[in-house]
Amino acid sequence: MVIDLKRCTGCFACVMACKVEHQTPPRVFWAKVLRSERGKYPVVTRQPIPVLCMHCKEPECEKVCPTGATKKREDGIVIVDNKICVGCRYCVVACPYGARYFVPKWTDYFTGKDQPSSKYAEYARKKWLAENDKGVVTKCTFCVERVEKGRKPACVDACPAEARTFGDLDDPNSEVSQLIKRRKGFRLQEEQGTEPAVYYLPSR
Amino acid sequence: MTTNYSREMMCAPRQQLEWGFGGRRKVRDGALLIALFLGGIGAGQFVVSTWLLDYKLSAVIGLLFVAVGKSVAHLIYLGRPARFLRLFLRPKTSWISRGLIAMIVLVVFGAAYLAPDFGFGWLPWSADSDLGSAILAVAMVAAFVVMVYDGFVLASCKSISSWHTMLLPVMFFTYAIAGGVAMTALTSMLDTGFVLDIDNLVSLDTMLLGAMMALVVFYVLNLATSDVTAKESLRTLVMRRTAIIFVGLAILAGLLVPIALAIFHQLDIEEALANVLLGASALLELCGDLSVRHSILKAGLHAPVF
Repeated sequence: MVIDLKRCTGCFACVMACKVEHQTPPRVFWAKVLRSERGKYPVVTRQPIPVLCMHCKEPECEKVCPTGATKKREDGIVIVDNKICVGCRYCVVACPYGARYFVPKWTDYFTGKDQPSSKYAEYARKKWLAENDKGVVTKCTFCVERVEKGRKPACVDACPAEARTFGDLDDPNSEVSQLIKRRKGFRLQEEQGTEPAVYYLPSR
Repeated sequence: MTTNYSREMMCAPRQQLEWGFGGRRKVRDGALLIALFLGGIGAGQFVVSTWLLDYKLSAVIGLLFVAVGKSVAHLIYLGRPARFLRLFLRPKTSWISRGLIAMIVLVVFGAAYLAPDFGFGWLPWSADSDLGSAILAVAMVAAFVVMVYDGFVLASCKSISSWHTMLLPVMFFTYAIAGGVAMTALTSMLDTGFVLDIDNLVSLDTMLLGAMMALVVFYVLNLATSDVTAKESLRTLVMRRTAIIFVGLAILAGLLVPIALAIFHQLDIEEALANVLLGASALLELCGDLSVRHSILKAGLHAPVF
């Protein structure tokens, strides 16, 4: 994935699309937009930084996982097998991007309790527990169920500024590879040696 | 006041909230800290009791700390405790697996070594036999791994500058041995009314206190001279709420007061007073051990992602 920081307006559409797609409970953000402020008055810049799981080539989370619940698929997507995860949270602590969330139990958005307060909340609870379970670690899956059907991840589809581009990094002719080459794409925390699969295009 | 949630949405150093008190499950997440503490002092007590004093009852108590205390605390902490067996599956890459395997080896071989002295005399070895010594050697190696592995678990987290240092395994090892000395002294006081081999224990304890003080100073200097996130961790340790625990309990009560008591012990004092002083020092050191581990977990800050 490539995220163009020049195009990102910080509208949080990606965050909401992810929430709607996966019905993540309160305080769980598989996709989030960080606020970054640089400089000193009067020369100050404010830059929204969309962040999600970087689906690293050398994922720290996979290395430290004592159970083998975190796996890297052949297509490069890093997933957590919720039937194996024990909830030790070594991966949450080891991930440099804060992309992982431990969810001890499902909670309702409005009441904060573990019982759904509406029909929609009941649907959300059912979907979350069926796909992620409780007492385990969860994270962005690059909307693997959509990608397998040839669709783009929800955050990519929802971005009104078309700041996100999804594609095959291994193909040098793909749009993502061309964008990275042309606009000098960079990755977050390269010094960690995790080789993230999410590239950013500079804002200026 | 800035909440943890809103801090999470800023490009700033981000505190790890998963390990230690104050996570998503508040008190239950603190069970991990208790597990690290009990594992350290339990393995330390086993080593000190068997290697220095040949004091079997104390060695059994040390093993119980590891076998029962540490295990139960880990189970309380886990999100899915019923699946705990899976934790042992990846010793090739995960320090948690390595540490827990060492814990099982320590408990099994430690129990096998001590068994002939506790009603299992029919076993084909005794503590003094060659086989007994071999069993003890395996248990000692496993105890060493149990004492250091939590340091390696933290040190393997590259994005947390205050943890990503080889000082942590050394510190945790030293604190574990000192905790073992403290627990051995307390056990013998409760068991016999006085501290067995008090001079040897005090000498070892004084040495360890000096080493712990030096390691804490090195650790603080390391934070002060590292990157911005490490400096922020240092500020957390000495200027924020954690300072009460780190400076007050870990350094003042857990190191400086026991050092003063150890110096006082060198004077020609009565044996009864010496016992009381060592007992007080032991309690303070245990409090310091728990506090230093808590402070280190609390000061774990991730570097900003951008």
